[in-house]
Amino acid sequence: MIAASHLTRSFGSRVAVEDATFEVRGGEIFGLLGPNGAGKTTTLRMLAGLIAPTSGEATVAGVRLARETIDAVRSRIGFLTEAPGLWDRLTVRQNLLVYARLHQLPDPAGVVRKSLERFGLSDRAGSLGAELSKGLKQRVALARALLHDPPVVLLDEPTSGLDPQSARLVRDLILDLRARGHAVVLSTHNLYEAERVADRVGVLRGRFIAIASPADLRHRLFGTRAIVRVAGDAGAYAGVVTDAGGTSVTADGESLRFALDDPRQVTPLVVAALVQAGAQVLEVTTEDAPLEEVYFTLIGPGETDEGDPR
Amino acid sequence: MIVPARVAALVGKELAELARNRSALLPVLAVAFISMILPFFVGLAVPQITGEHLSSDADLVQALAKAGGELPRAMALPDEAAVQAFVFHRFLTLLLLVPVTGAITFAGHSLVGEKLGRSLEPLLASPLTTMELLIGKVIGALIPSLVVMGLTFGVYLLGIGMLAEPGVLGAMVDPRTLLLVCGLGPLASLVALQVGVLVSARVNDPRTAQQFGALLILPLTGLFMAQIAGAFVLTTEMILLLFLALLAIWVLLLALGVRLFDRETILTRWQ
Repeated sequence: MIAASHLTRSFGSRVAVEDATFEVRGGEIFGLLGPNGAGKTTTLRMLAGLIAPTSGEATVAGVRLARETIDAVRSRIGFLTEAPGLWDRLTVRQNLLVYARLHQLPDPAGVVRKSLERFGLSDRAGSLGAELSKGLKQRVALARALLHDPPVVLLDEPTSGLDPQSARLVRDLILDLRARGHAVVLSTHNLYEAERVADRVGVLRGRFIAIASPADLRHRLFGTRAIVRVAGDAGAYAGVVTDAGGTSVTADGESLRFALDDPRQVTPLVVAALVQAGAQVLEVTTEDAPLEEVYFTLIGPGETDEGDPR
Repeated sequence: MIVPARVAALVGKELAELARNRSALLPVLAVAFISMILPFFVGLAVPQITGEHLSSDADLVQALAKAGGELPRAMALPDEAAVQAFVFHRFLTLLLLVPVTGAITFAGHSLVGEKLGRSLEPLLASPLTTMELLIGKVIGALIPSLVVMGLTFGVYLLGIGMLAEPGVLGAMVDPRTLLLVCGLGPLASLVALQVGVLVSARVNDPRTAQQFGALLILPLTGLFMAQIAGAFVLTTEMILLLFLALLAIWVLLLALGVRLFDRETILTRWQ
């Protein structure tokens, strides 16, 4: 649904995005991760046809991005901007109605009514934009971005600044988009969110450092880690684990922690070796490195890059 | 290609916003009130207060004689009514300030307002083209300006009919007056709007846009003063010439606006 090839965008001498190449399929959520100024918003804006790439090309919903195709692209994407950008003096219904008309949808009032129902906004249809909480504004903005049922949805920090309840609601709506077959590109600082909703993530810092599913990234960087709890002093069995194929073994009280290249093959060998060595195995669990750890390993801690055109 | 339905959607939004922000109308209503009251004060109240008829003012009579060719109906009236008609005619130029003030007020906020409210980016991501955006913004501001001007003109004529000498109202309503009010007024407003919208797209502050738009007030005020001083008579031919000149300026400004409207700069320099 989206195919970006070597997309590059410079602002003066500063390169905001360099050589971005990625694809997003229908029914897939692609998370863009990176510190401020990493080029997440610039990437989304290029895909939305709002700014032109300096070089490279992209195809969005079957349309190649070019000056002459920009109108066609805009009618095929739904773009949730970082700020909801509602008109404060218009009601929720009026806000949506204007966009339904801009998209020249047949029966705009009917489309808006259905959208209000879908996003649980029917009871707030008459509220002014200025009267809404941040979470509600974001929901209206999401409803606005999806009024014309675009195959491609671009979301820029959709849960930024929302309370946990509102953020969860928005995340559920994003997951619903995947279920409906939309291709979703989600820019976020929220690693928990990326882990929860994204099928694949691209870690961006000007250029993509890595693109993979969160699980693949984790495995690629840290392998899989297992924890075996034994009765007594676990330290006595560290050598057994190493001999059976575990690496980076640490012992702490009753627990043995170790990394595994191939968990399905090595875990039974380790457990068998421990039992054979006389250990009383109480519990075997696997431990995944949180995406945050993966992120900081890729990006480096404390990396921020404020004050750029994004 | 311009899609009228999209322009209409934007115009509808502009009017709906204005309906909930009536205080934005205050400057234009104030100018309308002053523009309307001033001629009645000069033409009717001052003679009442001083006890001297306008027709006894040699300068006014001389100015009327000079402009007589342009006001044939006024010339046929008794002296006092003729001078009143002349005064009310001259002050019509002042009424042009009403739509221009409205234009400056509304246009200054048009795009800067969208930027400040951060509603511009979603709008730019919609299928709305730059031309449609600019036209929608201009029409959305033009309509309320013209409505206020129309109402002001209506009340002006009503006041003349009720308070001035008999026959003055009849002398006022002629093709020249209609061309001035219904042709030059809207066009002057359109030019001020286009200047405001154009500047509004390039600056960060509505006041800057308003100050640029206000530049149009200067020639209008000059025109008014020159007429009042009897320096020249705004003939029908001159009004037509001004009309065509303003039309050309508007078309140029519209083209320039589309050319100068840089979506990327607006998005990337505005956070």
